[in-house]
Amino acid sequence: MNPTALEPLFWAMCGGFAIAASGALAPAPRVARAVTAIGSVAGAAAGLWLACLVLAGAGTVSIAMPSVLAAAGGLSFHLDRLGAVFLAVIGGVTIPVAIYGFGYTGGYGRRYSMRWMSLQTGAFLLSMSLVVSAANVLTFLLAWELMAVASWLLVITEHDRPDAVRGGLWYLAMTHMGLLALLAAFFLLGGDQAGAWPFDALRDGAARLSPGTRNAIFLLALLGFGSKAGLVPVHVWLPRAHPAAPSHVSALMSAVMVKLGIYGLLRVALDLLGGGPAWWGVLLVAAGAVTALTGVLYALVDDDLKRLLAYSTVENVGLIVLGTGAGFLFLSLAQPTAAALAFAAALLHVVNHAAFKGVLFLGAGAVLHATGERDINRLGGLVKRTPWTAATFLVGALSIAALPPFNGFVSEWLLFQSFLPGVASSRASVAVLLTLGVGALALTGGLAAATFVKAFGISFLAMPRSPEAANAHEAGWAMRAGMVMLALACPALAILTVPVLSAIGGALGGVGGLPASSTTFSLGVILETPHGLARMSPVAIMAVLAAAGTGVWLAMRLVSRGSRRIDDTWGCGRIGQTSRMEYTSTAFAEPLRRIFGELYRPTDDLTVTEQPGSPYHIQAISYRTELHPWFERGIYDPLVRATQAAASRVRALQSGSVNAYLAYIVLVLVVLLGMVIGF
Amino acid sequence: MFDVAGIAVEIGQALLSLALAPALVGFIRWLKARMQNRRGAPIWQPYAELRKLFRKDMVVSRQASWVFHLAPFVIFGSTIVVSLLVPVLVTPLPFNAVADLFAVVYLLLLGTAFLALAGLDTGSAFGGMGSSREMTIAAISEPAIALAILSLALAAGSTNLGEIAARTIARPSSALSPGHVMAFVALFIVMLAETGRLPVDNPATHLELTMIHEAMILEYSGPYLALVEWASWLKLFVFAMLAGNLFVPWGLATSLAPAALAVAFATTLVKLVVIAAGVAVLETRVAKLRLFRVPELLAVSFVLGLLAVASSFSLR
Amino acid sequence: MQGVFSQVAVMGSSGMLLCAMIVLWRRGVAAYISAFMWQSVVLGALTAAVGYFGNDPQLYVVAVLLFGIKAVAIPKLLRRVSQRFTAGRESAPYVNTATSLVVSGLLVLLAYAAARPLEAVADAPTRAGMPLAMGLLFISLFIIISRKLAITQVIGFLMLENAIALLAVLATYGVPLIVELGVFLDALMGFLVMQIFLYDIHGTFSTTDVDVLERLKH
Repeated sequence: MNPTALEPLFWAMCGGFAIAASGALAPAPRVARAVTAIGSVAGAAAGLWLACLVLAGAGTVSIAMPSVLAAAGGLSFHLDRLGAVFLAVIGGVTIPVAIYGFGYTGGYGRRYSMRWMSLQTGAFLLSMSLVVSAANVLTFLLAWELMAVASWLLVITEHDRPDAVRGGLWYLAMTHMGLLALLAAFFLLGGDQAGAWPFDALRDGAARLSPGTRNAIFLLALLGFGSKAGLVPVHVWLPRAHPAAPSHVSALMSAVMVKLGIYGLLRVALDLLGGGPAWWGVLLVAAGAVTALTGVLYALVDDDLKRLLAYSTVENVGLIVLGTGAGFLFLSLAQPTAAALAFAAALLHVVNHAAFKGVLFLGAGAVLHATGERDINRLGGLVKRTPWTAATFLVGALSIAALPPFNGFVSEWLLFQSFLPGVASSRASVAVLLTLGVGALALTGGLAAATFVKAFGISFLAMPRSPEAANAHEAGWAMRAGMVMLALACPALAILTVPVLSAIGGALGGVGGLPASSTTFSLGVILETPHGLARMSPVAIMAVLAAAGTGVWLAMRLVSRGSRRIDDTWGCGRIGQTSRMEYTSTAFAEPLRRIFGELYRPTDDLTVTEQPGSPYHIQAISYRTELHPWFERGIYDPLVRATQAAASRVRALQSGSVNAYLAYIVLVLVVLLGMVIGF
Repeated sequence: MFDVAGIAVEIGQALLSLALAPALVGFIRWLKARMQNRRGAPIWQPYAELRKLFRKDMVVSRQASWVFHLAPFVIFGSTIVVSLLVPVLVTPLPFNAVADLFAVVYLLLLGTAFLALAGLDTGSAFGGMGSSREMTIAAISEPAIALAILSLALAAGSTNLGEIAARTIARPSSALSPGHVMAFVALFIVMLAETGRLPVDNPATHLELTMIHEAMILEYSGPYLALVEWASWLKLFVFAMLAGNLFVPWGLATSLAPAALAVAFATTLVKLVVIAAGVAVLETRVAKLRLFRVPELLAVSFVLGLLAVASSFSLR
Repeated sequence: MQGVFSQVAVMGSSGMLLCAMIVLWRRGVAAYISAFMWQSVVLGALTAAVGYFGNDPQLYVVAVLLFGIKAVAIPKLLRRVSQRFTAGRESAPYVNTATSLVVSGLLVLLAYAAARPLEAVADAPTRAGMPLAMGLLFISLFIIISRKLAITQVIGFLMLENAIALLAVLATYGVPLIVELGVFLDALMGFLVMQIFLYDIHGTFSTTDVDVLERLKH
């Protein structure tokens, strides 16, 4: 297929998102919502189809628009296979999320402007697609900033809630801090080249940069893209902004937008700079491990369902960066096959995480929609009242806990396998680092399983813990359709691992020194790693598990002769079972909270009120415990205080006197004239 | 892999494991009883228990949902799948192409997770407590298992079960190397934690302060209870086979010749008896650890695994 | 034969290392004294083995001395001191148990990294045990730093002596007898001085808990 046939798909994608944005002109909120949904689905479908064609080897899309913003160099787009992987994620997640969003925003029309939301959604989706297809720095930064602003506006949709506004403020501040870092990185990369700095020119010029400059670019890019992705310690906006946004927007942000941080890191550090010294990999592995452990530890003890999911996103980004770091490390040690495997494992986790985090956030949104509650301690019993939500959330929870036979297990397994050649390496420091990496990976996996058993078990199972949960109603057809689509994607991705992995391998081929590989879409069943003899088959596990389970069920039907009786849960002879006797989310996580107590440093406050006159008879006991990320206090509070101090000093300039202001203007004029004369 | 003979062998192995697992547990109980100066139930008592449970009526909690009904089948099914992959008599197995050690560990974790969900589903405090403690122990034993697997995989160059067994058979002197021994002890400690034996969990208790596994299955009765109990016995059997046949693989048949199979059966029985005796002696000798001392025990297992991996560093 | 020698050396060194880890894991002082005793027994056996494989009869004498002094006499003295003076349990060390164990694992990795140049130069069959001896050294130092009871610190010091002796045995098949005797005398004197101090401290303050004694400086 010749490349020019792909261009219409690109325009169709942009057109679809533009239609979604045009809901801003709709006469009624319902029309706006429908237009948004239809436009988003159309644009996303076009984008997904385009990405699949590009990954299948049909060529690339290159569009140059030098006339637009000609003074700054003009826009230009180039969708290669690396970008196509991320575009496929964007398209694949947007379709179910848009359908879900149509149902979810049903109650919004009365309080918030649906027209505004249409515009913001369309702009958000369009800007994300343009980020992955940008071919010069100007386009990239424009799309990046548009994405930031559009998503910020979406986050503060529910502007009457103070936590939404506060979360939005954190998000805005941190994304612009990241933007500053990116600007600095690109300036260093572009150097004294003229024009809009197309990526091709930057790639060629990067080889001539000094090692010091390359290291500085890497660090700045890590800071900028890391804050978008959610690396510790610049992740702080994630647990504040993602829960506050409307649930389908949270799903998009968690599943797709943070991955664009990974895309940027790969584009700059791997593609443009072509890899670097070993310490890049070491830094990424360390940062990834710390991020993963921090994310999962805070997800474990959280009682807010959406914030738990946000911290879990931080954890998974940590795992992705862990794999990426291993890749850079192997690349610097001249082991390109091992590097390719590590990068492929990281990108597979990008794809898989998008699927199951999407379904989890949509499920949390359905729970919020049904009960109005985000606090897990006030949920329960939803498996009978909202069966579709419960079933899809269960699939998502099993996938993210890396349990076979779902897709989370496959990418976790591949990450483990990609570490093995490092542990077997002859360099002691590499072996030690990657051994500790394996330990961190295993601990994260175990803690994630505990977290999601808690999240699903306490929210959905047993009896409702509040009247809101008791009166929950199932979601509408649109919301259900979106959740079911993503829930089916999880086992589907597990079955289709081999084609997906070969597409990813093709995307990485030739990038930054990695070996080129073929892009055969074989429908193989066994996943085999290139370097060693490790083999695993998700399809076989799924099939044998299903066979075994069914066989046992049939056998039991034949063998057992007893009847079945329904009765209350056993309670040591007491009468009746109430929801007060159930375990709560705080209680479930308490043993692990105690074990890791020195990492959490919770503040516990126990007040015992005795009966007057007798110290042995207790009147009341009050227990209050708070858990704030203590490193945030240590890093961000001083930063905020320093900024405020500096700002109040600068405020002295605002004296209010007109004479002073005029004097400032004249002073600046004089200085500028002096500079001109001087040169 | 998909030929009829191979599938027959695999099914045969699964049936053999299912048949031997209750005997293993019965033998451990009998040995413990004898060491405590009691007569003890006969070794085939667990079979009688299963027979009794399958014929009994079942009481299902009003608060339970389909998760409660699904869980026994998932637990039993996942443990059977593991028993298909672990070498019992023959190596390499017909399904060896997909027999990966990490897959085995995570399949067992699938069973554990569903058991925890079933414990939460009935809304009783016992179940919640058991689930919470079980997931805690499962989470903390993951790094220990991973490092033990890593040290085995480093020696064999792969995490494939057949490969690991083959490499150890090819180099008998490696069996007594300190790394090997330390990895074995690490795996043994993890086995005690994962299968709910002393000193981590008491399999014979019903006091709420001391039970973990028993608390989660408290609401199960009749055939469901039979399935869940059999699955936990099968899990112990599988771990014993991992410990025995990966670290001391001599005696495993490399072909399907009847003579080789008979030898393999005899050596497997010997290994099972030795491991069962070890477990029984340990359970009689030590007391159950407080819950918050269990992470220390698993930290010892983790460090042993780390030392096992490190001991391979100096050989390069 | 050389293969067996190497295996024995590594097994012995690992055994001594594990005895040190018992001090980090358990809480009772009686367990610490037993761990030290077994460590000295293994050291003595290893010295005898090196004497056998390396054909150095002097090492048999050293082994006997080790058994007598470090495996019999010193543990007996330690038991007497612990029964009279200490609480019997290390209840709240500066670093908790699980963290101590993980740190000890990391220290062994550090020892492996530090011993690589040493291993590259040595050609004795026992060189594979040298990183473990260095690991034992680090762990003994860690015991002294992280524990509060004075008697635990004394045991840590004694294990440090064992580690140095092990390193000497593995690297150079022991040192000349006269040096060995001198080191023994040194260790014995040090131990007796510590005993006297323990008597004195306990007599004055009724405690030998370092945490409590710290307040003296205020």
